[in-house]
Amino acid sequence: MTRASEIVVVGGGVIGCAVAYYAAKRGLRVTLIDQPRRGRATSASAGGLWPLGESIGLGCGVIFYKAQLEQGKVAEAGGPSQLPRAFLDFALQSKALFPTLAGELRETGGLDIELERTSLLFVMYDEADEAFARPLWQNCPCGRSLTEWVTPEELGRTEPAVTRAARGALRFNGDDQLNPYRLADAFRASARTLGAKLLPHTEVRNICVAKGRVIAVETAAQRIPCDAMVNAAGAWAPEIGRMAGIDIPVLPVRGQIVATETLPEVLSACISTTDCYLAQKRHGEIIIGSTTEETGFDVGVTPRALKALTAGAIRAIPFLEQVNVKRAWAGLRPGTPDELPILGSVEGVAGYYNACGHFRTGILNAPLTGVLLSELLSGAPLSFPLEPFLLSRFGAHRDTGASRVGRAR
Amino acid sequence: MPRTVIIDLSSHREILWAAEETAGAIRADQLIVASGAYERSVPFPGWTLPGVMTAGGAQRLIKTLQVRPGRRALITGTGPLLLVVANQLRAVGTEVVAVLEAGRHPRWPQFLVKARGEWGLLKDAFEYWRGLRRAGIPLRFNHTVFEAHGASAVEAVTYGPVDPATWTPIRSQAEQVEVDLLVVGFGLVPNVELTTLGGCDHRYALELGGWVPERDACMETSIPGLFAVGDGAGIRGAAVASLEGRVAGITAAEHAGLLPRAEADRRRAPFLARLESLLRVRAVLDGMSRIRPGLSELATPGTIVCRCEEVALGEVQMALAAGARDLQAVKLLTRLGMGPCQGRNCAPAMRSYLSHATGRTAAEVGRINPRPPVKPVRLGALARMTRAMPADDPFQATIREALS
Repeated sequence: MTRASEIVVVGGGVIGCAVAYYAAKRGLRVTLIDQPRRGRATSASAGGLWPLGESIGLGCGVIFYKAQLEQGKVAEAGGPSQLPRAFLDFALQSKALFPTLAGELRETGGLDIELERTSLLFVMYDEADEAFARPLWQNCPCGRSLTEWVTPEELGRTEPAVTRAARGALRFNGDDQLNPYRLADAFRASARTLGAKLLPHTEVRNICVAKGRVIAVETAAQRIPCDAMVNAAGAWAPEIGRMAGIDIPVLPVRGQIVATETLPEVLSACISTTDCYLAQKRHGEIIIGSTTEETGFDVGVTPRALKALTAGAIRAIPFLEQVNVKRAWAGLRPGTPDELPILGSVEGVAGYYNACGHFRTGILNAPLTGVLLSELLSGAPLSFPLEPFLLSRFGAHRDTGASRVGRAR
Repeated sequence: MPRTVIIDLSSHREILWAAEETAGAIRADQLIVASGAYERSVPFPGWTLPGVMTAGGAQRLIKTLQVRPGRRALITGTGPLLLVVANQLRAVGTEVVAVLEAGRHPRWPQFLVKARGEWGLLKDAFEYWRGLRRAGIPLRFNHTVFEAHGASAVEAVTYGPVDPATWTPIRSQAEQVEVDLLVVGFGLVPNVELTTLGGCDHRYALELGGWVPERDACMETSIPGLFAVGDGAGIRGAAVASLEGRVAGITAAEHAGLLPRAEADRRRAPFLARLESLLRVRAVLDGMSRIRPGLSELATPGTIVCRCEEVALGEVQMALAAGARDLQAVKLLTRLGMGPCQGRNCAPAMRSYLSHATGRTAAEVGRINPRPPVKPVRLGALARMTRAMPADDPFQATIREALS
């Protein structure tokens, strides 16, 4: 593919913006088409960058596992499932891009992504929590170097807001956070600075495929001839895939989150418990998440989730009882059957590329996704092997509609 | 349920309520929302200085807290409430230097013809106007505030004439006056957060104060069984609100099977007729006080437009330059509307600014999506949520009594 290739990126969430940024940085001619939908996952993210935590089932994973356990939907065994090594390596490599990226985006796009070194603390309340955490500490897939066993005394010293009833915590160094909206905005602004064209509030109506190759993307107003298109439509990726005759096994997985009013700095680490996770953002609010629900495209919040999340937050940080809730809302994670993203080309449709199915880790994995897609689009050697993430891992991509998302393992 | 706020409404008519110590959910077959209105903010340089307050704020100080809000006041805005506040201020000993009405002078003869049969609505306004005349307080039409000055509180105000059609400030004719109180009243905005969360269709109606739920003649919204009445469904005042409430109540009872159709029709008829007559006069009043786009030109790049998040107009202009075309995009780029008020204060003015700046309609500029909780609630109250109504609920008892 030549440098003059026309690339259309469909989807203006963090993934689409990352792909547009890295592609524009390589000198590709990019058009980013964005039709904001209610519940896009980028707008309902807590902004945690937790490669270790996510890959071993902390954050939402352990909350969901406990809920399933209580409802008798899973047998008592070994805690939430871990993701394969390829996911951890991908996430670690993506995470490692952030410090340099933060500087680039500030320079090119003029926006600060509010990257903070925080670490992630799994706070333990009882024996079951300890039994879950101890093997993670002893046999962490990343080795011992990044984990740390925190005694109740140390926990009280470093995180005085956390409940004294805790039996200590497991700390993951290297699991940090940023401002997720800022990341998407900074990618978008930087991509524009580098020459990418943005079509905001524009719906893609059709993808024209001729002789097994994508030749154009159509909106209501125009037809954009292109050499390649990237499907970065998040929970709506199946809609876009279908336009090119491709079945994408992505389902919306609702996550409800609660934000507190702005508070002085009371947390230095991000907190994960079996009830909820908590992350205090630069601006002072604490984000409390999250549920894992297959309820279609419903973006409402439910009394049950509000109760569970607020009760869980108060259990971890008792003074929150007296704090006001500023807002509660929900996002639709693009879930896949094996919880891994769907990246790269698809057999039989040249010029079509996936950058979707990022489930809970779109923010964390946006940089490496952007890098890899830009390498694919420009024919450069890949900086990470794509095989585990190709659509073809699900077998025939025209027969996946019935598969359930997540928890298949 | 006293001292209880509604913090969410789902599209299947389930409300979430919260009190000091607890919260709960109730699903209703028939639900009437009477959410009221709040005062419209119009940002101009110096509007965040102490001593600048809304008409409602000044009234609250006088009536509820029994405090004189200032010694020497200028009143600016639009609508009859300005006259009310002027008289109230005068009564507590505040010197009122002038009332600036942005709208035009009412052409009384034409006006009186249209108001036939509804003199009550005008009598009060006339009394207030006469009070002003007697006290020698000048009422200046097609004038408004341009800027408030002061180091730590308002010390002086620059004001002047506006274009009668657009209300664009005519700065070459600005004047200045020394005051320690500036009362600003640019009317009300319907509180449509609950009907929005409830999934009702809305339309933008500038003459009714902004976004309002679509309703049929019996006050039912696009969600069956969900009614909206009063200023929360469009600013039309107390007289209209109480009539709308009656119509909605009768219709809800009819839907619930408590009133046969013919009986409901018979009971609704007089209220509907009276509503029609009142609305004819309201339309004339609304036409005079309709907010015009020229007010958007009052703020300068340094003017704070979102007070919760301290966003200045310059940041909104930068967001526009970066490609933002609607309120949602401006919100994500600047944090405008992300504070505790959820955009209640900044969104109406910024909607009109964005329309003015981009040439797009209010509908295209869109809205800041409300999120629960629409009223402040503590985490502790939500954590103690129950699904049931409180056991000794006086409201339930009243209803049981009424139905027995």
